[in-house]
Amino acid sequence: MLSLLGGIFLGWSLGANDAANAFGPAVTSRMLKFWYAAVVAAVFVLLGALAEGQAPIETLKSITSLSLKQAIVSSVAAAATVTLMTLLGFPVSTSQAVVGAILGIGFMNRQLDVSAMSKVIICWFGTPIGGMLIAVVLLKALGRLYNRLNTDLFQSDILLRVLLIAAGSYAAYALGANNVANVTAVFVGAGQLNIFWAKLVGGLSIAFGIITFSRPVMETVGKKLVRLDPFSALIVVLAEAITVHAYTLVGVPVSTSQALIGAVLGVGLVKGINTVSTKTMAGILLAWFLTPTIACFISISLYFVINLRYVPSG
Amino acid sequence: MRNFFFKKTRQLEALIYNYLENLGMTQKHFAKAMNICLREGISDDFCFLMDQTHKFESRADDIRDQVNELMYSRALIPESREDIMALLERVDEIPRSFEQILNMIRTQKITFPEFLILDVQELIRVSIESCELMVKQIDVMIKKKVGVRTLHSTIDQNESHCDHIERRMINKLFDSELDPFLKMQLKELVIVLGEISDQADRVSKRVNIMAIKRRV
Repeated sequence: MLSLLGGIFLGWSLGANDAANAFGPAVTSRMLKFWYAAVVAAVFVLLGALAEGQAPIETLKSITSLSLKQAIVSSVAAAATVTLMTLLGFPVSTSQAVVGAILGIGFMNRQLDVSAMSKVIICWFGTPIGGMLIAVVLLKALGRLYNRLNTDLFQSDILLRVLLIAAGSYAAYALGANNVANVTAVFVGAGQLNIFWAKLVGGLSIAFGIITFSRPVMETVGKKLVRLDPFSALIVVLAEAITVHAYTLVGVPVSTSQALIGAVLGVGLVKGINTVSTKTMAGILLAWFLTPTIACFISISLYFVINLRYVPSG
Repeated sequence: MRNFFFKKTRQLEALIYNYLENLGMTQKHFAKAMNICLREGISDDFCFLMDQTHKFESRADDIRDQVNELMYSRALIPESREDIMALLERVDEIPRSFEQILNMIRTQKITFPEFLILDVQELIRVSIESCELMVKQIDVMIKKKVGVRTLHSTIDQNESHCDHIERRMINKLFDSELDPFLKMQLKELVIVLGEISDQADRVSKRVNIMAIKRRV
């Protein structure tokens, strides 16, 4: 159990950070009380993890084979990277940190499945682009449908609120299904957990992070998003959820934050408005390269340190 | 089921329509008071109607407070919340103007000179028409996503017409042989009267923007 602590910590920080992408707009706009949102998000994260968490776990497990010690090293390296990047104020991707850390161990082991690795990296490129494209399509299609609806102001308001809560729940489900692999896949690879327990432990630790510490991030991310009109906020959350869910079906853990930023850009593209500042974009791009690199470096360093042997000179 | 989950939204809808209905009553009493004032000066009937106008104006404030309270307790999404609060704040200027005009007449004991009476009647008629159209426009904006712009253009035309009457009245005033103090007193009153259609036009522009925002 103790050996799982690194993964549980990672799951906790993932839940604390990424639930905001699903329920930030609903909570900040006071459509939902934080506690309702946190409980709904936690339930849907766990559901997602249990129902569809297997494929991403299989992918991460297949990148390299790890011993228990190496699994712990990669978890700690990923968690340290996430913490460091958060402290530096970068929008961090837990998936990239985990893959970077596994990659580091793979280098040291000289055991790396290049095809699984390239599938993951291609999907990294595809996440923001996917989010953007889906947001464009959704905004055009659902926008047309919404304009045709013969609803009064109050009915429209009720409809938007219900849809935003439904989209948030779906996004939480997709988060659980996709990102549970980041938390416990290495322990499945190391033979410490079977798939069911990996999904349960991973899902519970993410849910725990949501319940205990997601409020500040939810309020910050939500405020940034609520600058969009409510319909655009709905489209952004829905596009993010569909993107992340699509990658879950492919079996690749991706960043919900990057899918979300892509969706925000897509909305800006259609509406002809600047939804993301140049500074934010630069931060995202920098983090995109730095996160896996730092995680890889930390895991190599930790691996090196734990394998040091005292050799008496005489 | 919907009423159970969105009780506050339904309460809010009822309050907004209550507010608009109350505005109609304020308008009605104001118009009657002005007609009496033009016909017979400051009489008991005028004072009664003035008190009635004040009563409905106070009720409007109470309803607006209730609306604001509901808004702060999470009724509606933030954008609609902000829009409705700003809208009611602007609409509320109109009953305030009604009350101010009647107060000015009563406290300053103003009587309109004969040469201004037709213009005052015309100004009040067009201003009240603008207010009625504005209420209709708000109703259309709440119920539908289209049809607001047509009403806005009529209100805009009325506002230009009122400006024209206002200028004509001020010219007549200063061309007359009235006492300079009376001229200033009446000029001030004419400006406040002209403010009704200006405010209706400002509200109408706001409603137009809200209607545009309802479409995505």
